[in-house]
Amino acid sequence: MPTKAYKTYLSLLAFTAPALILYAIFLLVPTIGGMYYSFTDWNGLNRSYDFIGLGNFVEALTDDPDFVNSLWFTLKYVLFMIVLQNAIALVLAVFIESRKKSKGFFRTIFFMPNMISTIISAFMWTFVFTQVLPQIAEKTSMLFLDQSWIGDPKYSFVSILIVSLWNGVGYMMIIYLAALQGVPQSLKEAAIIDGANAFQTFRSVTMPMITHAITICFFLTLNGAFKVFEVVFGLTGGGPGRSTQVITMNIYEEAFSNNFRYGYASAKSVILFVIILIFTLVQITVMKRKEVEA
Amino acid sequence: MRNRSISSLLITLVLAIGAVVAVFPIYMAVVNSVKTQGEMFESFISLPTAFHWENYSDAFTKINMLNSSWNSAVISILGIGGIVFCASLAGYKLSRTGGKLSGFIFFLFIASMLVPFHSIMIPLNRMANALHVQGSTYGLALIYIGLGVNMAVFLYHGFVKSIPRELEESAQMDGCNQFQTFFLIIFPLLVPITVTIAILDFLWIWNDFLLPLLMLTDVNKYTLILSTNMLFGEYNKEWSLILASLVLTAIPVVLIYAFFQRFIMHGIAEGAVKG
Repeated sequence: MPTKAYKTYLSLLAFTAPALILYAIFLLVPTIGGMYYSFTDWNGLNRSYDFIGLGNFVEALTDDPDFVNSLWFTLKYVLFMIVLQNAIALVLAVFIESRKKSKGFFRTIFFMPNMISTIISAFMWTFVFTQVLPQIAEKTSMLFLDQSWIGDPKYSFVSILIVSLWNGVGYMMIIYLAALQGVPQSLKEAAIIDGANAFQTFRSVTMPMITHAITICFFLTLNGAFKVFEVVFGLTGGGPGRSTQVITMNIYEEAFSNNFRYGYASAKSVILFVIILIFTLVQITVMKRKEVEA
Repeated sequence: MRNRSISSLLITLVLAIGAVVAVFPIYMAVVNSVKTQGEMFESFISLPTAFHWENYSDAFTKINMLNSSWNSAVISILGIGGIVFCASLAGYKLSRTGGKLSGFIFFLFIASMLVPFHSIMIPLNRMANALHVQGSTYGLALIYIGLGVNMAVFLYHGFVKSIPRELEESAQMDGCNQFQTFFLIIFPLLVPITVTIAILDFLWIWNDFLLPLLMLTDVNKYTLILSTNMLFGEYNKEWSLILASLVLTAIPVVLIYAFFQRFIMHGIAEGAVKG
């Protein structure tokens, strides 16, 4: 019998080896390596380095205002994205689902921006924000359009949100649409016969049936929003100054264009990972519990 | 009934406004990409009076369109092919084999699914350097395989459970070895989930920006997105040229969208539910 167990192991390894090897080299080892270096003062060049314990983490969180600001800026962004992206996507999905003839048309239009690369979207919107809107404002005297959409941190937060939503809502909308199609028509009809209006039907019949999709979309938005990079890179480059810098850009700057503090930059990466981990676990646990109740 | 038609009208109105917002930047880019700089600054909204295609021929050469699209295509196809090949083998076997080792390997794959790319980009960069795959198109494809297999293994692992074991048993009785059984009997049955994986990975790899930015240094190996990014930085304020290049960059994905819309939407919904 030992030969049989041996054979099973051998075939298991033969089947998983290609995936496992590439995965280990390019994802697993870098993940562990990054955590390892986060406890050192390695500069990425020298062979020697020292362990400095939690020094990097303490410095990042207490003595690096740029990093802490980027942290808060990202948190604010995540919060707005979770609420707005899901609200807009859900409303669009419900509205589209209620159409008969124009359903396919609207679905196609609303999803299209999602196909375009985020960085290309950011460039298109740069044109709109810096050229088109000011001109429209000038010609039509809709003066509220003439803002420094990218140059003024107050407005650039809004423009970052607009581009992110423009690019991302379609994806969530598709997931919500698929979930809405799974809600049996007969249930909705029964509610209407019982005298519920459209809003009541939605809240008491449809919502509980699509909680699973809501959990998924919250998860995807949360996860994606913490990792925001391209939109900000393409739109403001983090500026003016570092006023719109997000965590990922701060890490990028620390690691690739500043002063080669790889150990320190790795510590920031670990902080990002831990934050995402905590937020997602809390979100999933809380919402799964709600799902069961509903 | 009157109440109903009003709310229906309101819904149409909201959708119409939304559609205008969704199309607006694309429309602006397309319309102004055929204008001269002067004509543009008179009015962005107006339709072009004459078509200045030279913006396009100019952009076409400046972003090295054929070459960069080819690079993007090679990276995407090799990356997707590799992910599908490696992950289907692994996902299938892990799903069929019980025991501690199998469970451990599967756990190893899914444990990293929450690790953000930005947390590994620094060591990954070092790793690529050490293995001399940095700056190479094929090397980049390999990295995509390494980064993409975990999700795909997870999806295959779940899908294989729905395939009855009897199929393999009878194939083996007919004298197929394990690999023959997989490629001849099992893999064809995995087509639906393979399509989903291929679509999700295509959207990711083709549109990815940061990894190619870190890995590719030679302009001739730039992907389409990277070339356009370079042009945007170099020809700041030359909007007719920039817009033409943005439209050119968007054309391949819009074409793919036009042909595969159903598959893409199905793939996203499917991938989300399973994931």
